[in-house]
Amino acid sequence: MAKDILLDIRSLRAGIEDKEILHGIDLQVHRGEVHAVMGPNGAGKSTLSSVLTGKPLYEVTEGSITFNGKDLLQMSPEERAWEGIFMSFQYPVEIPGVSITNFMKTALNSARKARGEEPLKAGAFLSLMKEKMALVGMKSEFSKREVNVGFSGGEKKRNEIFQMAMLDPTLAILDETDSGLDVDALKIVADGVNTLRSPEKSSIIITHYKKLLEYVHPDVVHILKNGRIACTGGFELVDMVEEKGFDVFS
Amino acid sequence: MSKEQKKKTVDYGHYVPIPLPEGGEEGVAVLEAGRSLSLLHVVGMTPGDLPRRFVLREGASLEVSVFSFPGTSAPLPFEIDLAGEGAQVTLCGLCLCKGEDKVVVNTSVRHLSPCCQSQQNFYTIASGHSDVAFNGRIVVAPDAQKTEAYQTNRNILLSEDATIGSTPQLEIYADDVKCSHGATAGSLDEEAQFYMRSRGIPLLEAKVLQMLSFASPSLSLIRDEEKREELSGMIEKAIRDLQ
Repeated sequence: MAKDILLDIRSLRAGIEDKEILHGIDLQVHRGEVHAVMGPNGAGKSTLSSVLTGKPLYEVTEGSITFNGKDLLQMSPEERAWEGIFMSFQYPVEIPGVSITNFMKTALNSARKARGEEPLKAGAFLSLMKEKMALVGMKSEFSKREVNVGFSGGEKKRNEIFQMAMLDPTLAILDETDSGLDVDALKIVADGVNTLRSPEKSSIIITHYKKLLEYVHPDVVHILKNGRIACTGGFELVDMVEEKGFDVFS
Repeated sequence: MSKEQKKKTVDYGHYVPIPLPEGGEEGVAVLEAGRSLSLLHVVGMTPGDLPRRFVLREGASLEVSVFSFPGTSAPLPFEIDLAGEGAQVTLCGLCLCKGEDKVVVNTSVRHLSPCCQSQQNFYTIASGHSDVAFNGRIVVAPDAQKTEAYQTNRNILLSEDATIGSTPQLEIYADDVKCSHGATAGSLDEEAQFYMRSRGIPLLEAKVLQMLSFASPSLSLIRDEEKREELSGMIEKAIRDLQ
């Protein structure tokens, strides 16, 4: 029996400020799959993740995105999060004055409220925090720090993976999470993705590099070029990019 | 929040009446050499007025935290004379305004002796048709060498009908001084909003978090844990009220 389609992107045309960047994307992610999207700078990788997460100013001019059987494009960014979409930001934003604990509590309880559930009890929340912080190798004082304020590049990305683990999404999008990471941090990111892996859940990993993909081993690889999917295949495409660059794809 | 909590006000516990020197004018507080004083004033709640002028003698140190909550209109004048060598003052203010509120903050910090320090940090969030003005004056007298004087005024406008005016005024007559002033006015950062929304925090709640984050430095001088908690609660309630 064919696996369920979790994310179904059809003939997607989208852009920003009247400039079309994605010129008709078709992409299906089944439950349980890990997809990699690779492409040169300016290919439209970040536009794709922005459109999936509902970033303001990005406009969809044609096509559809169905997630979990629902029309994703009708949902606000927060509704998409409640539905199970998470994006690890390429440039995580600093929020001075808001502690990681407070931030995560607000995020988790907002989703629970939207589902008609009671807020998580303090004890349960703290043990969840502890468990997920251990997963990404964060010390306990991390929870008291202000969100991303004064974090090193590696710490910011680790914080993204921590948030991903806390929110336990159905679809995780990693937007160049591996850029600028050393090997240790890269392993933490990879472990985060691998831990999340289940027959019900999927990930899209957007990257320039092979390294992260070696740890995560995607099921499907797409090459995005000039706003179109130039090629779809397996891990052999990753090797091809590594050897010959993106020029061989047209 | 229960009704009882709503009525609670911040007391004036930090205020210590200061004996004025002979011939001292009314409304003028003099901090004698080496004295330090920390004041908390919540406009419309703290009984009495703040002294209209403070004179700080050698090595004296003054901290004033002032809060103006929605539904208040008031002039907030601060005149500080750093009269003795090494005197220090920190003024910290938060104005949360809505409706037809009109708040005018006038500060005049005069560095009259060498080696004095002053720091002014004022924060405003204005919604509705409210009108807030900050006029911050720093004067450094010719003898006041080694002065350090800093001023920041940060503002957030929540509505197109709200008005914010910021006028820094520096008069420096000494040459060995460190002075800076900075004013910003803008709306809430949409990048940060999107980041929070992508984590499932609804837009309204994201805005509340942003405003709490913006306002939090105004509590920097409140060291008493209980008072800080109480003020934080009042600030959060007021911020939710601004939307």
